Amino acid sequence: MEHFYESLLIDTEEGIQCKVYSNSHPEGMIVVKPKYVPEEGISFKNLKKRYLFEKALFRFNLFTDVKATAHNLAEFRKRFPDYFYESEKHDNWFIVVPREKIKKIHDPKEGLRELIKIPLSDLDNYLRAVRGLIELISQSGVALEKLGINHSTLLGNYTLGKSDIDIVVYGKENGWKILDFLERAEHPSLRWKTEEDWRKYYRDRIVSKNFDENEYVANMVQKKDDGFFDGNVFSIFVVEEPEEVWYDWEDKHIPLATVKMSGKILEDYNSIVRPGYYEIGDSKILKGYPDLPIKRIVTWSRPFILQAKKGDSVECVGLLEEVETKSGDKFQQIVLGYFDAYTNERGEKEYLKKLIG
Amino acid sequence: MVYFPESSIIITKDGLYCQVYSNEHPEGYIIVKPKYIPTTKISGISLPSRFIGGKKVNRLDLWTNVDALKKYIDDFSRHYPQYILKNSMYEKSPLFFAVSESNVDKVYFPRDGLKELMDMPKIDLDSHLESVVGLVSFLLKSGLKLSDLGLTYSTLMGHYSPEKSDINIVVYGKDNYWKLMKFLTNNKDKDLEWKSYEQWESHYRKRHRVMIEDKEIYINNMYRKKSEGFFRKTLFVIFAAEEPDDVWFKWGEERYKSLGIATISGRVVDHYNSCVRPGLYEITDSKIISGERSEDIEIKKVVFYSRDYSGIVYSGESIEASGLLEEVTPKYGEKYYRLVVGYFDTYLSERRGKEYIKIVS
Repeated sequence: MEHFYESLLIDTEEGIQCKVYSNSHPEGMIVVKPKYVPEEGISFKNLKKRYLFEKALFRFNLFTDVKATAHNLAEFRKRFPDYFYESEKHDNWFIVVPREKIKKIHDPKEGLRELIKIPLSDLDNYLRAVRGLIELISQSGVALEKLGINHSTLLGNYTLGKSDIDIVVYGKENGWKILDFLERAEHPSLRWKTEEDWRKYYRDRIVSKNFDENEYVANMVQKKDDGFFDGNVFSIFVVEEPEEVWYDWEDKHIPLATVKMSGKILEDYNSIVRPGYYEIGDSKILKGYPDLPIKRIVTWSRPFILQAKKGDSVECVGLLEEVETKSGDKFQQIVLGYFDAYTNERGEKEYLKKLIG
Repeated sequence: MVYFPESSIIITKDGLYCQVYSNEHPEGYIIVKPKYIPTTKISGISLPSRFIGGKKVNRLDLWTNVDALKKYIDDFSRHYPQYILKNSMYEKSPLFFAVSESNVDKVYFPRDGLKELMDMPKIDLDSHLESVVGLVSFLLKSGLKLSDLGLTYSTLMGHYSPEKSDINIVVYGKDNYWKLMKFLTNNKDKDLEWKSYEQWESHYRKRHRVMIEDKEIYINNMYRKKSEGFFRKTLFVIFAAEEPDDVWFKWGEERYKSLGIATISGRVVDHYNSCVRPGLYEITDSKIISGERSEDIEIKKVVFYSRDYSGIVYSGESIEASGLLEEVTPKYGEKYYRLVVGYFDTYLSERRGKEYIKIVS
């Protein structure tokens, strides 16, 4: 098993730009989601294109309709068979970059170190906002060396007034410390989406069939990893250090059924990363399989990160798995957001929500 | 002698962003101007910084403070000696930057980049890219083919800012360039605007022409240029790159000997090659006005490396120019004399404010 920071960008030999999708990885490969894919020899459906670095690239998106996503993943597999890992220990597949196909890794820490060397007078408004946000976050007490900048902020292909500011925080302790700090921070440039903003967002878009408006607002308004700084949307990505990785690729996962369950969050510490998990008590399988005790809810999907806090009652739909660890322990868990969920009806059913009222 | 089209962008293995600075190159090398240089090894206090590709880089501004620039280039030569061309064509070589083929990490080709862009679905373009596509579609009405055009600099490399960045178009082939200039001169398209008096005045100040030229004459001359203008309010600049079969000189086929600084006058007999870099005005009736050599020698060519002088004078017009006088010994043919304006090392001395090419009435 290997460690490689989640959310980092990797350029591959074939010109694909990938986003790392986990902090732990099977031997010799990195679990990723393709972000930009060259159009040569591939016929995707319903994907937008972007003109980046002299190329027209497909912006790979798992959130198109199920049929299109299934088609696109099949196309991707046909063109790049080496990028698929059939995991016997999951009876499932993952998109990966074989180590030897990595051409370049974009390092968020180094990018931030470079950015802060630039005189403010040479920065545009967007990069000034990035610097301002970093200065604010640093007041949490987390060392600058534990922070990075990512995605378009790092690569410099951001659009003024449109692009998000993506910040990487190294280490879960640091992540929690920063989120706690930001929740309490008062700064003229810092703003969170209000309940009213979330209501409008819900009404303007069909966010999910699985949440009513009040549930959606209650679930979203408590999240403090996305906000606004100087009018720019910012997102905090927390990644695990090698010694704190919880996911073990040696564990055996046996898929049992798609189920609906309820339970109470006993611990949310690992819900800040991808994959993340919530420890569950008082679980009850409501539908889809005979009742079994559920130890945890695992999410590979970023929208369900930080979705609930310790003590919250939750409800979810996901894949019930039996897990057998290397040491022989056995337990059940629910998983949301495996890649295959985007290609079948399970994806549309999956959700996790804090119960209100 | 190797052909490699001017205005392409090269990223070196150690992270320098270089602009290809000629169409003809010595064997195994590409003549460039380093445009953005990482600050890990050297840093220029007076040079502007930018954040590109996750790195703090200095933008090599040749008009920054002369002493600071000199120190920076000295540092550059020490830390990046591999990019200083050792040039046997000159008795004492002026400064040329060059990238050896083994140091190239990636090349951005303007022609390929534009083709990719023009194939993009319209719905996926931002406002800047929409303007680029609009401008190119308009330029194609001149009769040029898409393969005659390219796209360069920030738009090509993907670090442009909508509403701020220029559109930089490359035209391949000098015939094509002049055809396009004729098309633009005669065009009254509603999306097309030319720089105003005030905008050329600002250019005049920025480019330090204030030291050497009368403002009114400069601005009047620049008005004739149709290689810079606005399309749907976005500034565009058109560059020409030679095709392999229309390069006006071949690297290594002449030897050059410096005869010192000179100011000369003459009459342009051919401006055809003035649209490329290096650019050329062929002249007749030359006269040395001042300089280290005063004897009567006939100067046949005025050569320049600065784009500011491209296409500003037409055949039949008289010019005055100040630069470095050179004796040229061709491999084949007779010895002749030329004046060169805008070698890189010009910017490292007081010469930079004194070199010029201008029309005289």
